Amino acid sequence: MEKNSLESTPVKIALWEIDLDPGRFCMSFDFRLEQLKASIEEFGVLNPPYLMEDSESHYTVVAGYRRLLAAKELGWSDIVCQVLPHGYPPFKAFLLNLYDNLLQRKMNAIEKAMVLQRLTRFVEHEQIITQFMPMLDIPANRQTLKLFLGLEGLEEPIRHSISAERLSLRVAGPMMSLDTKDRLKINELFMAFKWSFNQQWEAIQWIMEIASREGRSIEEVINEREVTEILHSNRMSNPQKLKTIVKVLKTRRFPSLMKAESEFIKGVSALPLPERVKIIPPPSFEGINYRLEIVFTKGKELKEKLADLYSLSGLERVTDFWKTSNGNVH
Amino acid sequence: MKQFTIRRILIERGAESDSLAKVIPKRLPDIPKELVDSHDLALPEGTEEMDKESLRIIHHKGEFLKPCPGTKRYICCGYQILNIGINCPMDCSYCFLQSYINQPSLRVYTNLPEKLDEIGEYIDSFPGRIFRIGTGEFTDSLALNYLTGWTDYLLPVFSHRKNCILELKTKTSSVQSLLKSIHRERIVVAWSLNSPRVVTGEERKTASLRERILAAHDCQKAGFVLAFHFDPLFYYPRWDEDLEEPVRLLEKYIDPESIIWISLGSFRYMPALKWAIKRRFPKTKIFDGEFVTGLDRKLRYFKPIRIEMYSKLAERLKKWHEDLGIYLCMESGDVWKQSFGWSPKTSINLSRYLDNRVRKLMVG
Repeated sequence: MEKNSLESTPVKIALWEIDLDPGRFCMSFDFRLEQLKASIEEFGVLNPPYLMEDSESHYTVVAGYRRLLAAKELGWSDIVCQVLPHGYPPFKAFLLNLYDNLLQRKMNAIEKAMVLQRLTRFVEHEQIITQFMPMLDIPANRQTLKLFLGLEGLEEPIRHSISAERLSLRVAGPMMSLDTKDRLKINELFMAFKWSFNQQWEAIQWIMEIASREGRSIEEVINEREVTEILHSNRMSNPQKLKTIVKVLKTRRFPSLMKAESEFIKGVSALPLPERVKIIPPPSFEGINYRLEIVFTKGKELKEKLADLYSLSGLERVTDFWKTSNGNVH
Repeated sequence: MKQFTIRRILIERGAESDSLAKVIPKRLPDIPKELVDSHDLALPEGTEEMDKESLRIIHHKGEFLKPCPGTKRYICCGYQILNIGINCPMDCSYCFLQSYINQPSLRVYTNLPEKLDEIGEYIDSFPGRIFRIGTGEFTDSLALNYLTGWTDYLLPVFSHRKNCILELKTKTSSVQSLLKSIHRERIVVAWSLNSPRVVTGEERKTASLRERILAAHDCQKAGFVLAFHFDPLFYYPRWDEDLEEPVRLLEKYIDPESIIWISLGSFRYMPALKWAIKRRFPKTKIFDGEFVTGLDRKLRYFKPIRIEMYSKLAERLKKWHEDLGIYLCMESGDVWKQSFGWSPKTSINLSRYLDNRVRKLMVG
C-alpha cells in the first residue's frame, strides 16, 4: 500500500454543518458518552475529529463520531476538526478511522461487523479474510465473514443484545434464517433471564426444531401457555424460571428421551438405596454401562453399604426401569 | 442413461498423462477445459459451495484401497473402500460429504486404471481372506460411469478373483454399461432405498424408487447378484407405511434368492454436518427427530426409536423372504439384539457373517 502522508487542515466548524447520522465510515455502536463528555468538559477535545467535505458544503464524519456527539450533547455550537483534502481516497479515510479505533478501544461484535461490511465496498472478501479479520481478532474464514456480514441486517434490539455480549454470536447465525417476528421473540426470551451461551445454543435449536416438526412459527412455540405462564409467574425466581423453561422445551423436543429419564428416576427412587449411593445411567441411555457411585468416609461404612446393596431387592431390574413393559418407551 | 450437467473440466497438473485424463475430456467435447494447480480451488462467481457442476481430474497420490473407517464403539462390517473419486453429481440433503470434504467439485482419480494391478496383487496376497470392496462410499458407483468408464476397467479386475467381491452402490438407474459387460462373477450391484417421501424430498437428481428397482431387476435378470441398503432411515409420522412402497416394489420385481445382503441404518451425523446441511437446505425436516449424542459423538435417533425402525422394517422384509442377509450398519450389540433377537456382538463376527454370505451367494 502507498505510504499514507496525511495532509489535513484544522478548521472550526459549526456542528449543524456536520452530518451526525452514522455514515459510511462509522464503526461505533452501543456506546455511552458520559465518560467522554466529562473528559471533554474538563480538558476539551484532545484529538480533533476528521471530516470530509461533501459536495453540498456539508461534512461527513470520518473519525471522531463519538467526540462530535458528546460535543453536541454538551451544547457546543462549533468544534475544531481536521478536514481532509478534496479527493482524499475514501478507502484511506476508512482505514484512518479503523486504525484510530483499533488503537483506542476494544470493539464489540456489532462494531466489527460494521467494519467488515464497510470494507466490502473497497476490497474483495479474500483480502478481508486474510488481512482484516485477524486484525479484528475474528477467526479468519468465509463462514465467519458471512456471519458478521449478516449481523448489521439484524434488528436493533438483537444487535444491542449481541454488542452487550448477552446474546451468543453462535445463536445469531441461525437467527438470520428466521423472519423478523420470530427472531425478535427469541431475543426477547433470551433477554428475559441470564441464559448461558450454551443454554441459548441448545434452546434455539430445540425451538426451531419443535416449530419445524409441529408446522408452527417460532413465535407460536414461545407464546404457548406452558412457557408464558412460567415467564409471568410471581412464584418463581428468575433462575427457577430459566431452569423450568429449559426443561419444558427439552421435554417437548425430546419426548421419548425425557420420558425414559423420568421413568428411570422414578424406578431408582423407589429403591431404598443406602444414603450417599447413586445409580447413574449412561448419557441418553446410548451406552449399556451404568455406574454406581458410593460416597463413604471409612472402609467400615463402605462395607456396610455394600452389604445393604447386596441384599437390596429390585436392584437386578435397574437397567430396565426406563423401558415400558413392552420393552420400549417410545 | 442419465447425464449430469458438467460446466467445466479442470485437469490438475500431474494428471495430464493419466489414461483417464485423456479419455474423459473427449467424452465432453464441448465443455471448457482448464489446466489447474491442485491448490487453485477458486470457484466461479455464484457457484454453489459443493460445485457439483465442475469435474476435476486428479492424479491421486494416496492409497486407493482402504478399510472403511467405520465408527468407534459400534459394530462395523469390515468393508474395504476403493477410492475412485469423491463428491457426487446427485444432491442428497443428508449427504455426509457436505461436512466431510473440504474441497469443492466432482473429483475423479484418473490414475486408478494404472494402480489396479497393484491392488489386485495386494488382494491376492491374502488368499484366505475375503475382501468386500465398494466404490460407493465417497461417490456414487455409477453416476459418472458414462464419463469415466469405471465399470469397463473395474469389473475384469475383480470378477475373476475368488477372494473378493466388488459392490457398486448407486442411486441411479444407469446400468447399461453393466448389462453390456461380459463380467458378472463377484460383482454386486446395490441400491440405496428409502421411502418415496425421502427419495423425492431429500435425494435430489437421483433415480426414482421405481427406476432403481427396475434397474435392479434388469441387473438380476442379467445375472448380477444384488444388495440393497435402507440407509439412512428417517423417523417421522407414518414412516413405516411409507417404507411399504420400496418393499412392495422389491416383492414385485426382485427374486430374493440372489440378494447377498440388505443393510439397515438410521440417519446419523457429526455435529458439523447439521449446519452444513441447514445452510444448503434450510427447510429440510431431517433434523426433526429425537437425536442424542452417540458413543462416537455422532448424533443418532434415541435408541428405542432406532430399535423400533429396525425391528419393524426387518420383520416386514422377512415376510418377503427369510434369508436376506439383513444387517445393521454401525450399531451397538444391544440394538442388534433388541431389533433382531440376535447380535454378532463384535465387528469381527459381523465380518464373518457377511463373508459367509459371499461364500453362499458367490459360488466358485
